[in-house]
Amino acid sequence: MRISNLQKNFDRFSLHIERLQLPRGEICGIIGANGCGKTTLMKLMAGILPPDTGQIDTEGLAPQDITMVLRKPYLMHDTVIRNLTYPLKLRGIKPDVELVEYYLELAGLQDDREIYAPGLSSGQQQKLALIRAMIFSPKLVLIDEAFSNLDMESTAAFEWLILERQRTETATYLICAHQLSHIQRLCGYVFFMHDGRIEAEGPTDEMLLRPKSQRLQKYLQYASLKEGAADGIPDS
Amino acid sequence: MELFDAEILGIIGLTLRMTLLSTAISAIIGIPLGLWLDRANFAGKRLVVLINRTLMASPPVVVGLVVYLIFMRNGPLGFLRLLFTFEAMVIAQVLLITPIICGIVYVAAGRNAARIRMFAVTMGASKRQTRFLIIKELSNEIFFAVITGYGRAMSEVGAIMIVGGNIRYHTRTMTTTISLLRNRGEIEQAVVLGVVLMLIALTVQIIADFLRKRERRLDENF
Ligand SMILES: Nc1ncnc2c1ncn2[C@@H]1O[C@H](COP(=O)(O)OP(=O)(O)O)[C@@H](O)[C@H]1O
Ligand SMILES: [Mg+2]
Repeated sequence: MRISNLQKNFDRFSLHIERLQLPRGEICGIIGANGCGKTTLMKLMAGILPPDTGQIDTEGLAPQDITMVLRKPYLMHDTVIRNLTYPLKLRGIKPDVELVEYYLELAGLQDDREIYAPGLSSGQQQKLALIRAMIFSPKLVLIDEAFSNLDMESTAAFEWLILERQRTETATYLICAHQLSHIQRLCGYVFFMHDGRIEAEGPTDEMLLRPKSQRLQKYLQYASLKEGAADGIPDS
Repeated sequence: MELFDAEILGIIGLTLRMTLLSTAISAIIGIPLGLWLDRANFAGKRLVVLINRTLMASPPVVVGLVVYLIFMRNGPLGFLRLLFTFEAMVIAQVLLITPIICGIVYVAAGRNAARIRMFAVTMGASKRQTRFLIIKELSNEIFFAVITGYGRAMSEVGAIMIVGGNIRYHTRTMTTTISLLRNRGEIEQAVVLGVVLMLIALTVQIIADFLRKRERRLDENF
């Protein structure tokens, strides 16, 4: 995905991305303070928000190949299993029983398939949304506040899943996470946003270990200070 | 009049036909209108919503009067000869109920449709699939809107009295009959008919619960 001169203005915030290229087949991270525009940028990429000006070149990807997992995912008024298989139903694909089983187990939902999905805990909801976004093998997956509600075991499972999927299916990922450890383990490339702009970008090691931007240096300082906490601080 | 003679049964039948038909027509108009109004963006939208809210609470006699004026002999649609017919009563009821259904659906859509639409995009749903999903996800609220509309149709007396004329064997309904019996001092029969009306209302709610059972069973996992 390639973006040029993208703009989106809200009453008290404006996003302006001059140039952005998502490396194909890479797991990319996006970091930055609360309110810097990470979610807005991802929604623009996902086609959920229309841009005011500028182009998003999906480089041959159809809208059906792109998906986004929102921080508070929408779950249909239906069972876990119907939520999980919904994207397959839309595509007229008959769910592969083994695959469904595999994903349910990964999310720890194997005994909850007939449960009313909106009644799940927030962590379970996020896990369901994640496997629902993966099950139809999209080519570009945008994940907002990826692990904000997950316990450590689930986080590890999903980190593993993303790495595995990206290796076998060469999908592109863009992951927003507040904990730098997730970014470090998962991402090969990182974007740092500040006040509606891309302030810095580069390979993960370079960005996290030898940051050139002063704002990034400062952000990393704060970020590593709160790294001890189990969860990142979700955006409002 | 005996308790359940042929005339009373005829009145009950007429009432059911009238209320079901007017609610069905109102649903067919009001549901898409409410959904559309939520999406639409035009200059006078706020005014339209305000007018709809006013119509939701409009006194039935006023609506009856308007329909009467339109369909009376010298009125703009007088040539249709619809006054004091079953059709006139259904028209009056549709005017009463459509704003109610439209208004409830509009509010429900305003609360949830944007999120559902966003979700549909992330799942790669087509336009048609998205529309279907929105209706399915709002089905509880839509259902509530229709039941509320039906309640209004069942309970209303002012409008159908004016445009129907409460003509025996012809446009006499349960509520207009109760009103007539009371005027004649035949309180006993009025009460019996009132009880039947309440039983029908109860039956409607029981059927509603039955249809909603599946959803409710799922809700219990909360
Ligand atoms: N629909 C909207 N209308 C108005 N302002 C918005 C809207 N969505 C986001 N914003 C504003 O845009 C800014 C960036 O928000 P967001 O992209 O959610 O930041 P982040 O995800 O990096 O925390 C915030 O100040 C937020 O208040
Ligand atoms: Mg955010």
